[in-house]
Amino acid sequence: MIKEVKPTVFVVDDDAAVRDSLRMLLKSVGLPVEVFESAQEFLDADRDDRPGCLVLDIRMPGMSGLELQVKLNERHSILPIIFITGHGDVPMAVEAMQAGAVDFIQKPFRDQDLLDRINQALDKDAGSRRMLAERNMIRKRLESLTPREREVLDLVVAGKANKVIAGDLNLSQRTVEIHRARVMEKMEAHSLAHLVRMVLEVERPEE
Amino acid sequence: MMARKNPTTGRVTAPRPLSQSEREFRALLDAAVDAIIVIDHSGTIEEFNFSAQRMFGYTAEEIVGRNVRDLMPEPYHSEHDGYLQRYRSTGEPRIIGIGREVQAVRKGGSPFPCDLAVGQLRSGTSPRFVGFIRDITRRKEAEEQLRRSEAELRLAQELANLGNYVMHPQGGVPDYFSSQLHRILGVPEGAGQRVSRPDFLSRWVHPADRERVAAAFERMDQGLTPLDIEYRVVLSDGTLKHLHHIAQAVHDADGRLLKHVGTIHDVTDRRHAQDEARQLQDRLTHFARLSTMGEMAAGLAHEINQPLSAIATYAQACQRFLRLPEPEIDEVMAALDQINAQALRAGEVIRRLRNFVKNREVKREPVDCGRMLEDLRTLAETDARLHSVRLRIEAEDDLPTVYADPIQLQQVVLNLVRNAIDAMIEAPEERREVVLQTRRSADGEVEITVADRGSGLAPEATEHLFNPFFTTKAGGTGLGLAISRSIVRAHGGRLWHTPNDECGARFHFTLPVSPAVTGE
Repeated sequence: MIKEVKPTVFVVDDDAAVRDSLRMLLKSVGLPVEVFESAQEFLDADRDDRPGCLVLDIRMPGMSGLELQVKLNERHSILPIIFITGHGDVPMAVEAMQAGAVDFIQKPFRDQDLLDRINQALDKDAGSRRMLAERNMIRKRLESLTPREREVLDLVVAGKANKVIAGDLNLSQRTVEIHRARVMEKMEAHSLAHLVRMVLEVERPEE
Repeated sequence: MMARKNPTTGRVTAPRPLSQSEREFRALLDAAVDAIIVIDHSGTIEEFNFSAQRMFGYTAEEIVGRNVRDLMPEPYHSEHDGYLQRYRSTGEPRIIGIGREVQAVRKGGSPFPCDLAVGQLRSGTSPRFVGFIRDITRRKEAEEQLRRSEAELRLAQELANLGNYVMHPQGGVPDYFSSQLHRILGVPEGAGQRVSRPDFLSRWVHPADRERVAAAFERMDQGLTPLDIEYRVVLSDGTLKHLHHIAQAVHDADGRLLKHVGTIHDVTDRRHAQDEARQLQDRLTHFARLSTMGEMAAGLAHEINQPLSAIATYAQACQRFLRLPEPEIDEVMAALDQINAQALRAGEVIRRLRNFVKNREVKREPVDCGRMLEDLRTLAETDARLHSVRLRIEAEDDLPTVYADPIQLQQVVLNLVRNAIDAMIEAPEERREVVLQTRRSADGEVEITVADRGSGLAPEATEHLFNPFFTTKAGGTGLGLAISRSIVRAHGGRLWHTPNDECGARFHFTLPVSPAVTGE
């Protein structure tokens, strides 16, 4: 199980006033917030696997917001990014969205608009993290199966009846039934459908 | 021995022997320097001395007995008989005893100028006349020469719009005052119209220049320095003129002041041309500043948007803090401080921007380079940020003050920074840095360097780099560097470039520390 860490809003903006005002706004609504004055500082702090979201200025001297986004994608970070853009940055915002940003907001903005976007991003992050946690759990359960149990599972998921599986594996039908019960138990499956869904969840993306 | 013609027949008769007194008279005539001709009442030549023969080219034999009108050009040739006739009938002299300058004709027909004096001989019944003639060709030539060189001088002065004068110290009224000088100062030519020095100072010299001109006169009088000064005069009709006045005192061997000689050059047109050229340059410079600003518009909008955005966010945070069951007053106070600071920051950006693009008169003043760079920082950083370029400013402490137009200097620096940023758009992220350095150079000047780490200058580009309208940028005017160099030169400095250590280019310019005196 992943231990529960409170989601944090990470703010990266080179402008001290913008950075500080965001920190204050987020604090006023009780959201944990951490601020960084450059993209590099954020990368160095290794926060990208933490739960939360990233509020990122698109224009910064040195590494720009877009360049940080590319680096985070390379690190397989799932942290949702909300870009803060100025006027006339629409082409950059489009590029950011194509690279997977959840949203962008133009300066100056209404606080509620930003907070709504942040909440959506946090929900999305929580969802992603739940899904990841679930996959990890399923993988762990799969790893607990014996090679024989795994063979039986694969054939069950392929939709084969016990009799066919017994034939395929040169086992008695009774032995297949015992393995199958062990698999259901180890995988904590409520039903055959649940078992299939779990296996597909972790194996489909890889194939 | 002279041959003689018979006055009545016109034929040459044999010479008769001369009496003693006649011989003496003839010797006297021949010894005379002037030509002497004696005619009878009808104009027939009776005597024609040696000088006359030399002057006119006739021998006595050729001319004696002929009418004197043969020695005259038209119209006198035709009218001479009439003159004699009238004198005989009226007795009223027109030339006798008076003398005048006339034209005569040599044998062969060439005319020449001469002075003629005529006397009447009263011996016998009918009057005879004696003429004394002096060839004045050479004097006339000398006069003509003088007249021509005077005319040439006058023309030269007119063309150059230059007048001259000579003035003796007593009385302060010039002894010589050229016509062009009359014209320059708008004084009619003629005696009593010369301008004395006190008059000149009080009635011509522009009030704002009066003290300076008087001091310069004073220094010249004391023999300290020759006068060399430009000032303005206002003529009686209100015309304003710019004069360049050069004069010096001339002393005798004992060191006594003899006179002042001087020239006054009307340089009004030149000044106007200079003014126009400067105005044009100023307009072009202003235009270049505007176009620089145009290129930076997006970045500047961003720069003003930043504080506005911060203000909005702080204000919204305040509202939320105040709505809490237990309002966090400390946070609100801190936010309000920031709101205040950010509003001032936005105002400051606008102020600097306005200063920079304002069409204003070029004004030199003592400039602290450190402060100038600080004023520039916002504009430059804005542009750098827009292109994800870092800007590093390395200013040496205690830089000396330069005498310059601060806005024009900012224009030069900003232009170089813009070029540096543009040179690095394609460069990898870690290289995107512009270094702006100020330091005191080896020879004591202030040197400002802008270094980039872009692709450097192509050899074919360096050749035309400072030419107006040469540009390597898609939207460039090609004026930036040309104008930057002319601004730096006008401040008495140099602008050049060198390759940067590993890659890219460095642009340097210097500014002299002491007040720069250059024509601008």
